[in-house]
Amino acid sequence: MNLCTRGFLKAAAILVLGLFALAPAASPAQAATDTDQWIHIRVTSRDAKGEVVRINVPIEMAEKVLPAINKDRLHDGKVRIESGQVKDVDLRAILDAVRTAKDGEYVTVQSNENNVRVSKSNGMLYIIVTDKEQAKKAAAKEDAGKGAKASEPVETKVEIKVPMKVVDALFSAGKDELDLVAALRALSAHGDTELVTVKDAENDVRIWIDSKNATE
Amino acid sequence: MLVLAKVALGLGATLAMTTAYVFHEGVVRVDVDERRPGGSHVHVWVPATAVSAGMRVARLAPQHPLEQAAEQAKPYLPVLRVLAKELQKYPNAEFIDVTDEEQHVHIATVNGKLRIDVLGDDETVHVQVPVETLMDVADRLEDASRSARTEEWHARHARHAFASE
Repeated sequence: MNLCTRGFLKAAAILVLGLFALAPAASPAQAATDTDQWIHIRVTSRDAKGEVVRINVPIEMAEKVLPAINKDRLHDGKVRIESGQVKDVDLRAILDAVRTAKDGEYVTVQSNENNVRVSKSNGMLYIIVTDKEQAKKAAAKEDAGKGAKASEPVETKVEIKVPMKVVDALFSAGKDELDLVAALRALSAHGDTELVTVKDAENDVRIWIDSKNATE
Repeated sequence: MLVLAKVALGLGATLAMTTAYVFHEGVVRVDVDERRPGGSHVHVWVPATAVSAGMRVARLAPQHPLEQAAEQAKPYLPVLRVLAKELQKYPNAEFIDVTDEEQHVHIATVNGKLRIDVLGDDETVHVQVPVETLMDVADRLEDASRSARTEEWHARHARHAFASE
């Protein structure tokens, strides 16, 4: 082997070693797995503009980021409830009553303006609200603008489905606080769940949890 | 001839090593295109290593620009730090996608880089930052904020000592 070749090999060896040394080190943070739970929010506008909002957040990330945000009522992953907002309602007592009660329908309100149903079944709390008044107002406003005959009002329907364990975790912080981080932790342990569905004349809103890292 | 070959090899190896070092953290990329008469077109590609090095150099500047920036960004630093650390766990993920009549906004991580794309009728913006750089920026700003606080404490202490004399 002549001197030139030896020199070239030496330089090449140094270069290769150097590149290995400089290659980005394996990330210290543990990579996410397929079993990680994600919270998805999708808002689809019904109007001609067709606005669509899709938000996907890993629950683990939300658990870590929330305690770092200290603004207004949000501190250390907990939201402070103003005593004026709950007035004389003892949320904890109501929650205890619901938790210990058997499965069934607890509240049913039917009126010209709203229908409200609150029920519990298989460890899940269901809240279903149908707002008729809002729909009538929206339809009247639309018709007044067009000057046409009255169109069929689209009711606003809100469906909330929350595991009781999540509700427990949410109220675990203290009297005037909601523990969001504990609720998220309970939520991720629960598995795939459809949480909120809102359908009204303007938008469709869906909030759910699954292990996919993108909206379907 | 042999000496020249050795020098050329040495230079080549040094250049390759330097290039590898400069780009090993990736590239911070900003592209802005305005689609209107006289609209600006900005295309910036900066090695992420240069950002870290630049922040180190900025700390030595007499006007303390980094300390001032750190003081302004102080409330958001803990969130930035945690967010950057968590983003490392999701090298390929879609976080936000908003589409309306006029714009499409997309925020995602692609191969360990945070990508923000805004596609509008009259403007297009693409920003790409390696997640590691975000961590680095948060660390540097936190250091700067800490040293600003220490300097302030020393100054106050000196004033107090001078007044008591």
